[in-house]
Amino acid sequence: MNLKSKCDNTRKEGPIRCIFFCEFHHTAGPMISCQVPENYISKELFDSISVYIITKAELQRSVITVTLHDYKILGFPVKIDDRDKYVRNAFHFNLCFVCDSNARTVQYETVVMKFSNYLIAREGECSFLSDGKVNEKLSPILTQVMDELNNKGECALIEGATTTHLKVCTIRLDPTPVMDHQVPIFIRELPEQQWDLTTQQVTPFIDGFNHVSKIAVLSDVENNLVKACVQNLVYYGVVALIPLFQYGNVYCTTPKLKMMMQDNDMQKKCLNYVAKNPRHLPVIRDVFRIYSAMTRGTTIRDLCIRFNPSNLRINERKLVQFGVLEGIIRRVQKYPVILSDNADLHKSLSGVSSLDELCCSIGVPSQQLEDQLERDNNVMLLWK
Amino acid sequence: MEVSPLSIILVKSDSKGDRLLFRYPFQTRCNDEPSSKGRKNPYTLPVVDDLLQSPKQSFSNINKENLTGLTDEVLSSLFAVKTELCNRKFELKVNDVRFVSHPTLLQLRNKQEKEDDSGMLVNIVFALQALASHSVVNWKILVKCYHDLSKRMGIVLKYEEKRCGYVSEQTQLMTTAHDDGYTNGSNSAFQIILEKCSLANNIKKMYDDLCTTGLVNLRINRWIPLTFCLPQKVHQWHIRGKIVEPEDIDRCLSALRPYHSLLLLHPLHQKNDFTSLDGSPGLDRMLNQYSPLKNLQTLAADSDLTLTHVFELTAHLVYWAKATVIFPICSTNKYVISPNAPIHLNSPLLEKFSDTFPGSNLIRTVGEFSLPSSLSQKCNPLCHPSQQSELVKTIIWLLQHHLLLQLHTYIQYMPTDNGPLYSKRGNNKSCLASPSSRSSAVVNSFQSISAERTESESGASTVSEVTEISVNKNIVLENVGFGTTEEDKQDYQEELLLDFPDEERSSIFKIPATNTPEDLKLFARLCRKGYFQGNHHVEEIMYLENLRRSQLMQLLDKFRDVLITYETEDPAIAMFSCSS
Repeated sequence: MNLKSKCDNTRKEGPIRCIFFCEFHHTAGPMISCQVPENYISKELFDSISVYIITKAELQRSVITVTLHDYKILGFPVKIDDRDKYVRNAFHFNLCFVCDSNARTVQYETVVMKFSNYLIAREGECSFLSDGKVNEKLSPILTQVMDELNNKGECALIEGATTTHLKVCTIRLDPTPVMDHQVPIFIRELPEQQWDLTTQQVTPFIDGFNHVSKIAVLSDVENNLVKACVQNLVYYGVVALIPLFQYGNVYCTTPKLKMMMQDNDMQKKCLNYVAKNPRHLPVIRDVFRIYSAMTRGTTIRDLCIRFNPSNLRINERKLVQFGVLEGIIRRVQKYPVILSDNADLHKSLSGVSSLDELCCSIGVPSQQLEDQLERDNNVMLLWK
Repeated sequence: MEVSPLSIILVKSDSKGDRLLFRYPFQTRCNDEPSSKGRKNPYTLPVVDDLLQSPKQSFSNINKENLTGLTDEVLSSLFAVKTELCNRKFELKVNDVRFVSHPTLLQLRNKQEKEDDSGMLVNIVFALQALASHSVVNWKILVKCYHDLSKRMGIVLKYEEKRCGYVSEQTQLMTTAHDDGYTNGSNSAFQIILEKCSLANNIKKMYDDLCTTGLVNLRINRWIPLTFCLPQKVHQWHIRGKIVEPEDIDRCLSALRPYHSLLLLHPLHQKNDFTSLDGSPGLDRMLNQYSPLKNLQTLAADSDLTLTHVFELTAHLVYWAKATVIFPICSTNKYVISPNAPIHLNSPLLEKFSDTFPGSNLIRTVGEFSLPSSLSQKCNPLCHPSQQSELVKTIIWLLQHHLLLQLHTYIQYMPTDNGPLYSKRGNNKSCLASPSSRSSAVVNSFQSISAERTESESGASTVSEVTEISVNKNIVLENVGFGTTEEDKQDYQEELLLDFPDEERSSIFKIPATNTPEDLKLFARLCRKGYFQGNHHVEEIMYLENLRRSQLMQLLDKFRDVLITYETEDPAIAMFSCSS
């Protein structure tokens, strides 16, 4: 399953269509000496772009990508200086990956660099590239690399006792910083592997209800370490961050709510998720009614009084969790802003931090703080 | 800012070889950072790197937003492309810099060079940051935009060369400056070029415009105007921190309906800033009739333009960040604070607001929208009319700054515990095919949607069958209209909901309002047309079915057992104020 999803992922990023090896021949100039599959890049095309492949000295060891109308060629030009060995005192070569012109190729950059370094090493050891028989020697390697990178996303080149591993790493967006008041929740099973000690200690307390500070206390791990660990899990898409659940929270519906009635799979998933007892599933009408009733100004407590969800076989905490994860509801946060000239409070009550953040940082129950702020005429609570 | 160019480079290539004529910026900025050498602790041990490793190569050509590590000769050899690559998009990425251009071949006007008619290659290259790994910008579209600009510039130059030999003159000037200034270093040569050559000045202005506003407005050779808008940048001034991609705008515009309304982001008296002298007269006419209280259809009628033309003009204004699309302001609109509203004590908006509305405070004003509130709720009958107009002005200001979000009511049909049964639903929506609505464009778009759905939900029913049934139904409905006698009642009820599954029918008949034929008829009609699936808000249904709000609200109330309502934003026009 895991392998398959990874495979799909690499395919979406655009497979490698061709790998070729070209060199600067001492009499013939730039030429392709080995190509898999044969003749994918024609000689005429190569000639028109050879200046970007066998480059000037200043562009050596830069990752260069040329986007043409049909192809995208990714290379790493290399020059090996050796006065005794080579006719022209240096050996220029470049190993290039060819992809479709609209594909993303950033993820191959490090692979091309590593592969080129591997070839440099072999050239240094035994003149692997420059002895004139490079086509026969290289073409099975190129075929292997292309097949395995496209299918598995990784490849191992074994030569005697040494092994060189090539791996395509998906480049993801940087995860946003984790805050004290956020709640991590697993959206995927934690992959079976040797996790670091912090992660091993932290993960048992990630249940979708404990917030980061609480996890730090429960697991006896320093707060910043917990944040780093959660951030790492977020990066790998194992964990999502949701707002803290409280009965005083307010949620509102988003335009995605209609998907719940239009997407049967989502509906089934929802009923199973929010059920109090998996053997007695709630009905969609009740679930939808509660979601619809979530508006600004209605707390979860109000909804519980109005609908009595446990009578309807619904677990309200799970209901909110599912809604937030699927994006059919959104938490409405309260942002206190002070209007008087009290310099001490200007920093904390400036409207940047939400009530949750404030409660978490000063360690006061949110109800208490909210009551206090509401009594103060100089403080405005903005809901957004 | 990652959408701004790092540098603009002008390269030519002709029979005399290739040369980098000009690049801007050429002087490296910001050297105020204290150099690390001056601060070096004399007691530190020199760190001896692993000597076996080759010295670490830096893989970046960007230093403090400047292009580094590539000499002019290298750049010129890279961009003097072979003829095979001319007159098409050129894209090259070196480490973390992406170069985009449209190499243009032009025929020189100068008669002396008749012996070689190969012409000259002119290439205006934009160097962009290529941090694609962790960027929010869709670089493919960004590249497309820059390519377009380079292409347009190429066309202008080609034309100007043909008209008056502008390019040969300018390149001659630049080459001379380079040859003369060779002893003083290239930067001084660039300085001289910038003083002497109008083309270099244009490039400088283009760079400055792209980096500040994203709106390029040039007059090449004091003759041809070149205007360009970089959508990723131009929307920054009204929505800071959010990058608006052209496809977001497309999505918004494809959802444009006749009942939407245009909201200019600038005061109307500044309109001369963005309607040039030779601009569309239609635009001028439309702006003369403009009011945020009018919907596009009224606007079209008042300015005597076709609706499609008004749509196009709206699209134009939205793309150029001159306007946004809202639902026309009326007393029943409900507003709340937009989730991304940048309201805090240090926000510059606070001051701007009190400048526009003396004596009021932005935070207090916005705070009143913490709970959904409408104009009619805010104005009691005792209110003075001037107060109301002041309130409308405030709301317009808040909408212009994307601080408010409008909530619409959507309706979901929920006849049974398990939701609607989809057994025969395919034919319900086909009634749309009957030409009942006013705006054909809207109907067409809905039709296509419903056609898709018919296929997806009931794979068995074909389109031809569907229309047949719908025709029959129309006849049935007409007959029903005449039947009023008491004993017929049960029959027409049954007939009206003939295509509804039995379970749904039985739950609908539990509602007392079904005894009123008008109510039931309206309900059945709206339900068949698929308005109760969360795709249409109340205002849209009112518009399409020509209903009054009270009629629809009464119906929703009477049938509340099978209709669930909820409030949320209109996803089409909320894109400017929502993150999703």
